[in-house]
Amino acid sequence: MTPAKEEINADDVAPGVMEAADHSIRDGIQGYLIGLALAIMLTVASFYIVHTPLIWGPGIPVALVVLAIAQIGVHLVFFLHITTAPDNTNNVLALAFGVLIVALVIGGSLWIMSHLNQNMLPMDQMTRMQR
Amino acid sequence: MSSTTEALPQPHRRDIAPAKLGGRGAPGHGGGGHGYATGHGEGGPASKRVIVGYGFWIFLLSDIVMFSCFFAAHAVLQTATAGGPSGRALFDPSRVAIETGCLLASSFTCGLSAVATEARSRLWTQLCLLVTGLLGFAFLTLEAKEFAGMVAAGNGPQRSAFLSSFFAVVGCHGLHVSAGLLWLGTMMAQIYVKGFRPNIVRRLLCFNLFWHALDIIWVALFTIVYLVGEGR
Amino acid sequence: MHLLGKLSWNAIPWDQPIPLVAGAVVFVALFAVVAWTILKGHLPYLWREWITSVDHKRIGVMYTLLALVMLVRGFVDAIMMRSQQAIAFRAPGYLPPEHYNQIFSAHGTIMIFFAAMPLMIGLMNFVVPLQLGVRDVAFPTLNATSFWLTATGALLVNISLVVGEFDPAGWLPYPPLSELRYSPGVGVDYYLWALLISGVGTLMTGINFVTTILKIRAPGMSYLRMTIFCWTALAANLMIVAAFPVLTATLAMLTLDRYLGFHFFTNAAGGNMMMFINLIWAWGHPEVYILALPSFGVFSEVISTFSGKPLFGYRSMVAATMFICLVSFTVWLHHFFTMGAGADVNGIFGIATSIIAVGTGVKIYNWLFTMYGGRIRFATPMLWAMGFLVTFTIGGMTGVLLAVPPADFQLHNSLFLVAHFHNVLISGVLFAGFAGITYWFPKAFGFRLHEGWGKAAFWFSLIGFYVTFMPLYVAGLLGMTRRLQHYEVAAWHPWMLVAAFGIVIMTCALACQVTQIVVSIRRRDELRDETGDPWDGRSLEWATASPPPAFNFAVLPDVRGEEPYQAIKRRAIETQQLSSEAQYEPIELPRNSPTGFIAAFFSTITGFALIWHIWWMVGLGLAAAYAVFVWFAWRDVEEYEIPADAVARADRDRRRARAEWLDHHERAGEPA
Repeated sequence: MTPAKEEINADDVAPGVMEAADHSIRDGIQGYLIGLALAIMLTVASFYIVHTPLIWGPGIPVALVVLAIAQIGVHLVFFLHITTAPDNTNNVLALAFGVLIVALVIGGSLWIMSHLNQNMLPMDQMTRMQR
Repeated sequence: MSSTTEALPQPHRRDIAPAKLGGRGAPGHGGGGHGYATGHGEGGPASKRVIVGYGFWIFLLSDIVMFSCFFAAHAVLQTATAGGPSGRALFDPSRVAIETGCLLASSFTCGLSAVATEARSRLWTQLCLLVTGLLGFAFLTLEAKEFAGMVAAGNGPQRSAFLSSFFAVVGCHGLHVSAGLLWLGTMMAQIYVKGFRPNIVRRLLCFNLFWHALDIIWVALFTIVYLVGEGR
Repeated sequence: MHLLGKLSWNAIPWDQPIPLVAGAVVFVALFAVVAWTILKGHLPYLWREWITSVDHKRIGVMYTLLALVMLVRGFVDAIMMRSQQAIAFRAPGYLPPEHYNQIFSAHGTIMIFFAAMPLMIGLMNFVVPLQLGVRDVAFPTLNATSFWLTATGALLVNISLVVGEFDPAGWLPYPPLSELRYSPGVGVDYYLWALLISGVGTLMTGINFVTTILKIRAPGMSYLRMTIFCWTALAANLMIVAAFPVLTATLAMLTLDRYLGFHFFTNAAGGNMMMFINLIWAWGHPEVYILALPSFGVFSEVISTFSGKPLFGYRSMVAATMFICLVSFTVWLHHFFTMGAGADVNGIFGIATSIIAVGTGVKIYNWLFTMYGGRIRFATPMLWAMGFLVTFTIGGMTGVLLAVPPADFQLHNSLFLVAHFHNVLISGVLFAGFAGITYWFPKAFGFRLHEGWGKAAFWFSLIGFYVTFMPLYVAGLLGMTRRLQHYEVAAWHPWMLVAAFGIVIMTCALACQVTQIVVSIRRRDELRDETGDPWDGRSLEWATASPPPAFNFAVLPDVRGEEPYQAIKRRAIETQQLSSEAQYEPIELPRNSPTGFIAAFFSTITGFALIWHIWWMVGLGLAAAYAVFVWFAWRDVEEYEIPADAVARADRDRRRARAEWLDHHERAGEPA
C-alpha cells in the first residue's frame, strides 16, 4: 500500500468540512458561487415550468421532482461538501440510510393509505352516508 | 505493511500527519494519547471535530426523517380539502419565489461565513452571519404574513385536513428557521465574547450544517407543497 | 383565564381509593428516601457523583435503576389487570371501566418506554464504551441530559396517578378515541407530553451511540473486531435515530389536533385516522427490534462467555443484525392487516414479516452451535439465556403465525396477540435485562450477585411466565379479545384463573430479585471480584478493574484481533507474565455538569404546564431551558485532568490483582 493511499484511508472528515488540502479563501468562495449559480438555475427552472406549455401537463410534477432532487444534490455537494471520497464513507452511508428511511416512510405511507381508501369507504363519503 | 487483512496485526496509524484542512482539533476526550485517527477502523478515536460534525450530521438526518412524516401526511391529506380551498386558490407563487431567494441567498452567505471562519476573520464571519440572519428573518416575516393572511381569510389549519397538513409542514420548517435564528444570535455573541475557540468553531460548523439542511428541506417544500400543489 | 389553567382540586381523584392510596404510598416512600438522604448528609455526594455525573457508567446505572423501579410500577398494573379478569366473570370486578382503561394503557406505556427502553439503554451506556476500549461516549453531557429527560417522562406518567388521570385510550392512543372530542380529559395529554419529552432524550441517546460506535473506538478495534453487543447497539441506535423522529412527528400531529384544532386524524374536515395508525407503526415495528437487538447482543456475550467458546458464526451474526435493522422498517403494516388494505399490500407485508424471522433464526442457531461442544457453566446469566432460547423460539413461531394475514384476521386484537408479544418481550427483553444485570453487576459494583437467589428468581420467572401467558394463548383462540374489563363467557374463566395464579408465581420471582440484591449487598465481602474478571470474560470490559476507574482504561487497549481480552489473557498465561507496564500519561475527562438535571427540571415544569394549559408557566419553562442551554455553552473549562501518577496508582493496583491471579493460575495449572 502506498503511503498516500493509506493516508486517505486513514483519514476521516466531518460533514460540512471542505475537502482540498491546498484550499484557499478564493477556492472556498468559488465553490459556494458555483453552488449558488447552479441552485439559482434549478430554482428558476422549477418556477418556470409550472405553467409552461413546453412540457406535457401530467409530466410537470415529475419534472419538478427531478429538478428538486438535482437541486438537493447541488446543495449537498457545494454547500454541505458531501463527496464520494473514502474519508466521507461514513457520512455518505449515514445519508443513504436516511434517504432509505425517508423513501420507505413516504412511499410506504402513500401506498398503504391509497390501498385503505380502495377497500374502505373514504371518510367524507362515510360521514355523508351517516347523514 | 503490504496487507490490510484482518488477520495481520496493524500498526496504529495515530502518527500519520494530519493532511486535511481543519480536521484536527484537540484530541477527543476519549483519545488520551491517540488523537489522530480514522472512522474506518483501526486508528483509535477520531478527532473531536469529526465526532461533533458526525453527531450533528446524524441529528440532521433524524430531523429529515421527522420532516418526511409531515410530508407523508401532507401527501395523503392533500386532496382532503373538505369543501375548502385547495392550493391553487391559496398560494402566491411570487411570494414563494421571494422566500426561496431569501433562503438560498442566506445559505450562500452562511457558506461564506464558514470560509471566513476558516480564515479566522472575525469581522467577515460576523458580517456574513448577520446577513444570513437578516435574510432568514425576511423569510420568516414573509411566511408569517402568508399564514396571517390565510388565517384572517378563514383558511387556517382548522379549516380542513389539507390545510392542517400544510400549516404543519411549512410551520415546522418555519419553527426550525426561528430556532436557527436564536442559535445564530447566540453564536454571534459567543464569537464576540470568546473568539474562535475550538469548541466555538465546531459549533459554527454545526450551525452551517443546520442552515444548509433547512435550505434542502425548503427545496422539497417549495417543490412538493407549493409548485406541485399549485397544479392541483 | 384561570391562573392555573385547567388545574384545580377536582383534578385529584378523591373518590377513587386505589390511585389515591397507591399515590400516597409512592409519595411517602419517595419522601422517606429524600428525607433519609438529606438527614444522613448524602445529598452533596449524590449531587456531585450521580446527579451531575456525565460518566457513562454512572448514567448506565441510573438508567437501569429507573428501569427497575418502573418495572415494578408496571408489574403492579399487571397484577391489577390479571386479578380483575380473574374475578370479573359475570361480575363487575373491583376496577371500574374508566380506571381499568387507564391501567392497561399505563402498563403498556410504562413497560415499553420507561422499563424496557431504559433497561436496554442503561446496559448499552454501561457496557459499550468499555467494550470498545475507550473512556466515554461521544457527547457525555448530552448523555446525562438524555437520561434526565427520560426520567422526566417517567415522572409525568407517575404524576398522572394522583393529579388528573392517565391516558384511557391504550398505550398507542388510536384516534378518533384519543381526540379531544372523545377523550376530553388530560389523560392523553399526559401521555403525549411524557413521550414527546422522553422521546427527545431517546433520540439524543441514539445519536450519541451511533457516533460513539462509529467514531470512537480503541486503536485497532475495526468494525469486525467489535463485540456482537456493540454491533447490536449500533443497529438499535441507528433504528432509534430513524424511528423515533417518526414517533415524535406522529404524536406532534395528535397534539396539534388536540391543542390547536388541527384535523390530521379527526373524523371531521377530511382528517384520516388511519394515517395515525400507519405512522405510529412505522415507528412501532422498528421499536420492537430496538428492544430486541441489544437483548440479542447481551445473550451473545453471555452464551459465548459461559460456553467458554468464541461466538459461533460471528460474521453471520453481524449480517443478521444489520439485516434485521433494515428489514424491520419494511414490515409495519402487519400491525393493521385487518384495517382495510387490499390483498397486495397485506401479502407483501406478510411475506416481509416472515422473512425478518430468518435473521432471528440465524441467531438462534448460532447460539445453539456456540453452546454445542462448549464447556457450559450454568451460572445465573446463562440460565436466563437458555430460558430465553426456548421461550423466545415459541414466541417467534406464534409471531410467524400472526404474520399470515388470513390467520391474523382471526387473531387480531385477541389475547393470542397479547400472549405473543409478552412471550417475545418477556423472554427477549426482560430475561436479557436480568442476564445483563447479573453478568455486568460485578463490573459495575465490584461484587457479584448472590447465585442462589438469582437462580430462584430465574426459575420463578420462567415457570411464572408459562403459567401466566400460555393460558392467554388458549383464551385468545377461544375468541377472547384484549382489554376486557368484564366478560360473560364461561369457557374463558378457568384460563383467567390459571393466568392469575401465574402472576402469583411472578410475584415470587420479584421477591427473589429484591432478596437477591439485599443479600448480595450484605454479603458483598465474600462476593467480591478482585481481578476485574469474575466470569473468565472475553471482551475488553473485563480488562479493567471492577468497578472501573473514571477513566476506564489507564492506557487505551491495543486491539489485535477478535476477543481482545481473551488474547491478552492467553498471552499472559503463555509467557507467565503480564504485559510490560505502560508509560502513564495524564488523562483529560469531561467535567460533571448539572445541565441535564436542570434542563429536565424545566422540561418537567413545561410539560406539566402544557398538560394543564398553564400558559405563563410554559413560557417560563421554555425561557429557563434556553437560559440553561446558553449558560452551559458559555462555560470555559470543559475538561479536568487526572494526573499521570494517579492513573499509575490505579493501574498498578489492578496489575497487582492480575499478577496474583496469574500466580494462582500457574499453580492450578489449568489450560487457558
